[in-house]
Amino acid sequence: MHIAEGYLPPLHAAAWTVVAAPFVVHGARAVVRQVRDNPESKLLLGAAGAFTFVLSALKIPSVTGSCSHPTGTGLGAVLFRPPVMALLGTIVLFFQATLLAHGGLTTLGANAFSMAVVGPWVAYGVYRLVRSVGGGLGLGVFFAAALGDLATYCVTSAQLALAFPDATSGVLGSVLKFGSIFAVTQIPLAVSEGLLTVLVVRLLVRVSPAELERLGLLKRPSEPTEVTA
Amino acid sequence: MLPLDVAAYTNRWRARHPGEKAFLSLGLLVLAVALPPWPGAAVCAPVALGLLLGPAGVAGRVVWRAARVPLGFVLVGAAPLLVTVGGTPWPAWNPGGLVPAAELTARAVAALLCLLLFAATTPLAELLPRLQRVGVPAAVIEIASLIYRLLFLLLESLRVVREAQALRLGFRTWRTTYRSLAGQGASVFLRAFDRARRLEQGLASRGYDGQLRVQVVSRPVSRPFVAATAALLVAVTAVVLELRSVL
Repeated sequence: MHIAEGYLPPLHAAAWTVVAAPFVVHGARAVVRQVRDNPESKLLLGAAGAFTFVLSALKIPSVTGSCSHPTGTGLGAVLFRPPVMALLGTIVLFFQATLLAHGGLTTLGANAFSMAVVGPWVAYGVYRLVRSVGGGLGLGVFFAAALGDLATYCVTSAQLALAFPDATSGVLGSVLKFGSIFAVTQIPLAVSEGLLTVLVVRLLVRVSPAELERLGLLKRPSEPTEVTA
Repeated sequence: MLPLDVAAYTNRWRARHPGEKAFLSLGLLVLAVALPPWPGAAVCAPVALGLLLGPAGVAGRVVWRAARVPLGFVLVGAAPLLVTVGGTPWPAWNPGGLVPAAELTARAVAALLCLLLFAATTPLAELLPRLQRVGVPAAVIEIASLIYRLLFLLLESLRVVREAQALRLGFRTWRTTYRSLAGQGASVFLRAFDRARRLEQGLASRGYDGQLRVQVVSRPVSRPFVAATAALLVAVTAVVLELRSVL
């Protein structure tokens, strides 16, 4: 759910940019370090970013009759970790603004905070939590993608509400208004994205386990030890 | 290819320095957002649209197609301002919300046109290498450039896979649709990483030292264009402030 260009008042746009900046800078530093130590990872990061962009071009059928697209933050966070996603997500948002006019440059900070920072961190936290209590890969990925998507939608609703508080009930009433108007598409979308992400990961486990091992999603099978007599 | 990217390579300002176009469109964007929406948006929107359709020569059809979806978001997003919750009745019509909703819509439309002025005239391949001058780390620019180059290949793969699935009745029921979508996601992942691996091998065999050097076409900065832009931005600000004091 991208906040369109010019939608936020200037002060809010600037404030959200300031809020998102430390996370993006942290992600950029992590990436620069990674690239310095291992120059080949630049190409993998490019692939990861392009994959995230193209994921948002998938058209999920929505129960409301329209088509929606997944955010890809959940899958991205689980595959590439949240700090990297903060940078890749922001680059992807910049491309979405300049190539598709989805989102915008003045709202890049607000969108980056919801989609490249909060969404991935929630998704990754949920994934770790589910895995640590014994949940399987599928369950972890489902909740990561669905709750990452929902967290993004909640943060966006709060950002809109802070910018335009309700005349009677203030910010809380406004959160309710924006939340309910976008819930029609976003809640079914979160469930759809969760299901779809599980299917994608299942397929990848079958056809590309080596890549998932390289990304740390699957454990490397232990080396067979030679037994000498 | 994406329609805005096609426009960026085919408009009349194609050969101009990206900095000139950024100064003009992003300058107008700042004015559209920072100046009071009335009459700020009413001045900035026609200026941006006029520049897009006139001197830049971007087709109106391209502008409309790119603007449709964000405009839908703006209209849906402005509707909650027209109702208020928490009183009786719940929810109630909010007559005081009409002006803020109109101002919000006007500002967003003006800002969107300024964004389109930038997006439809500036190829990203020319902009990205120049971002180093404004302090973006080289590694980040290289990754962004790789994403930009890969994403068109992947979008094309996605289109071909989708077409193949449609021809095999892959979108007949919800069940088959989800299976097909998962296939699309997984195939894009595989192709992205396969491309990256092949690029890696290709570069390694050519003495890759960690730097991706690309040739950037040198474009002279046109002083008259920059001067005219500065004059336009000052004129827009003056007209808006003058109109505001009169109206």
